[in-house]
Amino acid sequence: MKIKDKINLRQASVPIMFIIICAVCIPLSGLSPKMLINEIITRMGRNSFLILSLLIPIMAGMGLNFGMTLGAMAAEIALILVCDWQIVSVPGMILAAIISVPISVLLGVFCGKILNRAKGREMITSYIMAFFVNGIYQLIVLFLMGKVIPIKHSSIKLPRGYGIRNTVSLLSMRQKLDNMLAVNIAGVKIPVLTFILIAIMCFIIIWFRRTKLGQDMRAVGQDMEVARDAGINVERTRIISIVISTVLAGLGMIIYLQNMGNIATYTAHSQIGMFCIAALLVGGASVDKASIGNVFLGVVLFHTMFIVAPRAGAYITGDSMIGEYFRVFVSYAVITVALIMYETNKRKAKSAASMRLKEAQESEEMGESSQADA
Amino acid sequence: MENKRQLLFRIAAIVIIVAIAAVMFIIGRGHTIYFDNKTAEYDGKKYESFYKVAIIKDKEKVAKLAEDERGMTDLIGQTLSVTLEITDEKGADPHSAKVSMPIPYGIDGIVINIPELMAGLPADAYMSEFVPVATSEDEEEEEVVIDEFEMTDDM
Repeated sequence: MKIKDKINLRQASVPIMFIIICAVCIPLSGLSPKMLINEIITRMGRNSFLILSLLIPIMAGMGLNFGMTLGAMAAEIALILVCDWQIVSVPGMILAAIISVPISVLLGVFCGKILNRAKGREMITSYIMAFFVNGIYQLIVLFLMGKVIPIKHSSIKLPRGYGIRNTVSLLSMRQKLDNMLAVNIAGVKIPVLTFILIAIMCFIIIWFRRTKLGQDMRAVGQDMEVARDAGINVERTRIISIVISTVLAGLGMIIYLQNMGNIATYTAHSQIGMFCIAALLVGGASVDKASIGNVFLGVVLFHTMFIVAPRAGAYITGDSMIGEYFRVFVSYAVITVALIMYETNKRKAKSAASMRLKEAQESEEMGESSQADA
Repeated sequence: MENKRQLLFRIAAIVIIVAIAAVMFIIGRGHTIYFDNKTAEYDGKKYESFYKVAIIKDKEKVAKLAEDERGMTDLIGQTLSVTLEITDEKGADPHSAKVSMPIPYGIDGIVINIPELMAGLPADAYMSEFVPVATSEDEEEEEVVIDEFEMTDDM
């Protein structure tokens, strides 16, 4: 019981630390409560779907899926094409989602197959793979689009005749989803439809956990060998979990970009995985355990810190860049701490198991020798 | 039998998704519509501009044009339906006209000449493609920023 309490306290230490940071920074930032709540709600709508995409690989024991960037890239390619075809507003987003899904599935299968060859090192492998696929993405966007893949509009295409501009405007889609069914309560805009989509996603995840495939994933996540002995196709199950995560990340990226109103073609996806993972960990999740509650707590705490840190930094030091550095530093730090905690727990569990085995062997030997003496 | 049923379900799902995509292509196609209140000539006949024209789309006034002026609005879909509130000359009472017309799918920007439209001329008379003129800003070469972690010479 005491050990369990200790583990719970350790897991809760990150959210508690962030609550303290936010409690200190909010008054210093000078933001009005209305503005702060508005910002937090906007960011909840923008980021929650993306972070939810991380839950399923954790369930399958594959850790934090840095490969979610692959889905983000698929979504960006789809949005660039849809923009060029001039399909606007919500139909444009639906079409982009339809186009992004097969690309995400292909990338997810590819990623899953590679991760199956790197069992136990999924996180670093998916992280490096995101860089590798980023290279392919750049090849497509920088050279093939306009040359091989037809791009008509000069507002999207680089003046040299091929390649995509640094920024693609999504003005025709900007906040169309957020504004549909939006309600304004005391000056705070609530993007109801976006929240409905997020809620549907949450229910799907809860339902999915109870399905045969969901149970298989949990079994694989707990012990791959035992799951294999129980007749579960471990490799296939792991690939499916990565495919689902990549597809959801693609859909989440579409929601994210419609809120932003533009695509930073070459950089939008590069940091998204890092910040989503950091937000999930801030919410109290760990490498091997995460829940929907962690997603929402993480979004609120992490993004509150993101909003208030630059202003608080400017108030304390006179330089808002200090706050900027602080929030980036915290993002990386929280991931590092989570990884260290995971490794420490894993080693402790391993040494405890070997100790138990040793004790069992010793008592067995003692029993045998006493029998022989008798 | 089970496999055949599964295959059928998969094919049906793909067909439905493709159909949704096709519908999105049609209902989501965006156009920019430019309205010209300018004097025009067609088949040797002159069509004079109006004193004032107000364009109402979805119960919202999207443009108010004096003589020789151009206004614009965005359209999603393939049918343009607007109400024109036309004042023929200074001091005259405005009269309304509801117009609805199909818009060619392949054209992004369309110019509609209101005097020709109101004269009941065919679509090729009052409708023309808007061809944007490239500005020097568009032509300027853009440096592509690929990564914030650029490799230094040391690497």
